[in-house]
Amino acid sequence: MSLLEIKNVKLKLDDKDILKGLSLSVSKGEVHAIMGPNGSGKSTLSYMLAGRDGYELESGEVFLEGQSLSDMEADERARSGLFLAFQYPVELPGVGGMSFLREAVNSRRKFLGEEELDHLAFVKEARKVASKMFVKDEMLKRAVNVGFSGGEKKRFEILQMAMLKPKVSILDETDSGLDVDALKIVSDGVNAQRNDDNAIVVITHYQRLLDYIVPDFVHILSDGSIIKSGGPELALEVEKNGYAGLINAA
Amino acid sequence: MLHNVRDNYIISVKDHVSQFEEKSFRKLASNDFKRWPSPREETWRFSRLGVLSRKEITPIKPNFKKQISSVSKFKGSKIISFVDGAFREDLSSKLPPGSSLNILGEEDSLMCFHKFKNSNLKNHPSTNVSFSCTPSIVKLTIEKDVKIRDIFEIIYEGGDNNLSVHPALYIELKDNSSITIIERFNHLSSLTMPLQLVELRKNASMNSLKIFNDNQQSYNLSANCTFLSEKSNYNSFSLIKGGLFTRSETHAYLKGENCNLNLNGVYLSSKNQHHDLTTAIYHDVPNCSSKQIVRGVLGGKATGVFQGKVRVAPDAQKTDGQQMSRAILLSENAIANAKPELEIYADDVICAHGATVGEIDDEQLFYLKSRGISEKNAKQILITAFLRDIINQSVEKSIQNFVFEEAELALSEIISKEI
Repeated sequence: MSLLEIKNVKLKLDDKDILKGLSLSVSKGEVHAIMGPNGSGKSTLSYMLAGRDGYELESGEVFLEGQSLSDMEADERARSGLFLAFQYPVELPGVGGMSFLREAVNSRRKFLGEEELDHLAFVKEARKVASKMFVKDEMLKRAVNVGFSGGEKKRFEILQMAMLKPKVSILDETDSGLDVDALKIVSDGVNAQRNDDNAIVVITHYQRLLDYIVPDFVHILSDGSIIKSGGPELALEVEKNGYAGLINAA
Repeated sequence: MLHNVRDNYIISVKDHVSQFEEKSFRKLASNDFKRWPSPREETWRFSRLGVLSRKEITPIKPNFKKQISSVSKFKGSKIISFVDGAFREDLSSKLPPGSSLNILGEEDSLMCFHKFKNSNLKNHPSTNVSFSCTPSIVKLTIEKDVKIRDIFEIIYEGGDNNLSVHPALYIELKDNSSITIIERFNHLSSLTMPLQLVELRKNASMNSLKIFNDNQQSYNLSANCTFLSEKSNYNSFSLIKGGLFTRSETHAYLKGENCNLNLNGVYLSSKNQHHDLTTAIYHDVPNCSSKQIVRGVLGGKATGVFQGKVRVAPDAQKTDGQQMSRAILLSENAIANAKPELEIYADDVICAHGATVGEIDDEQLFYLKSRGISEKNAKQILITAFLRDIINQSVEKSIQNFVFEEAELALSEIISKEI
């Protein structure tokens, strides 16, 4: 059974067709990359999967481990094991990083029937994971994403992913706004979480992220549907010839 | 225009001052009190007082023997107690060296009165009524170069139904002095009309926290007039949570160069409460900065009002004036009114203002939900953070948690009903 199954989904925003029959099947242990030009529907796809209000499907269906997501709110989807790393992580003035993480982790643990972590145990765990992501203690004391640099925001996203241990992670343009060093740290963080039980969907414009997070499959998204799928070599083709060639051929 | 409302309260105020000599400042004040402000007056448009003229209120006769155990809420503070509007030395702490409390005589009281009458608080009802009816004007002085480390906690208590209460306090910080003052209003009266005159001399610095928490039937019409001299610093934060009707009005006059003013505040309003934060900042000289951040959270059928006026005189070049107000409505029946007013007559200034009234931010809510946090918890987190954020920005570190705990109680009451 696929971990994530997207079946012929169609979605409109402001009466405009954005996703026009998109299908994708992601199994355990796989990393999929979805590449596409601006306006192809990449961010819409990630918001739709995460369950943002206003991104409800017109038709089609999405399954997480065989369970339909259509009646699930964003928070239920997350507790069930879906994670979205935001392209633009949202600033939360006044919400401390540590208490935010704890609330999120305990919501998931509660759902899984695990015991909630007490403050001390949690802080210990968070610090351990944070140090691997080069996230300083000081950053966890600050308000979430407030005054963080582009790199810090993305590192904090991946730190959340590491703490929540999702089954399926959607990384929406995680490489945007990162310099080479930051890109390496973030990618190492993602790679460390790859295992046989989870799956990762990387959404990106550029091939360069895929040098670090090497995908098993690459899909080209254009005008609301996947027009071509292949192995990592497809990303190199995009890098060489641009999207135009591929889109015209399809 | 013919107004034929027979206002018993005006009669009772006149009655109260009849015992004083003709030349007394009290009589001067009462002469100017003819009626409650009409809603046609711009600054009272959103906060109507007409209902007071239909109430049977009389000025309180303070009972100097009334036993109230003024309980400090801030550990280790020096208490200054006002009961029924009268200063109670017997219930107050001994003050540290360099600070003193005195009851003003006729001449100094008259001086205070004139300071109010020469300000734009001249027509505020509390200006006239409280100068007429206050048991006495009390002056707190901090001497030159004295930095008070203790926190002073001024507790205003007492009152009773259908009585009006009139505490009047004059605070003077002499050159290079500093202090942090917490004021708590906890009246059981129908109408409290506090007066406060603050004068900060050269390089003086004052942190002021006011917590309005009178009981649910009370009215509070607080009038504050503040003068800042050169290089002085006034950092004020108002937390309005109690009362049926509370309006905190502060006028600040920046009279010396390089002074700095923060007039921030929060109102937390539920049921049929009416909360109003009105400010006026007068930049009269160059090179001063002022900042106002006001936030409100409203539920039930509550109304919140923020009126903020910034006036920059022609000579006040290089003024930096910032103003930002934001209200979150948790109920469809709650109302928030915001009225920023900028009057700028100088050309080389930075002045910014913004006001929003709305619901919880969608993006933030989605971000939290996308982490598995339920909508209810996410909303609670965001509203609590909305408060935490302004408190951390506004209040000095040593009292941040205290303010937050004071706010949290009222907040959780609103949240539990609306979310």
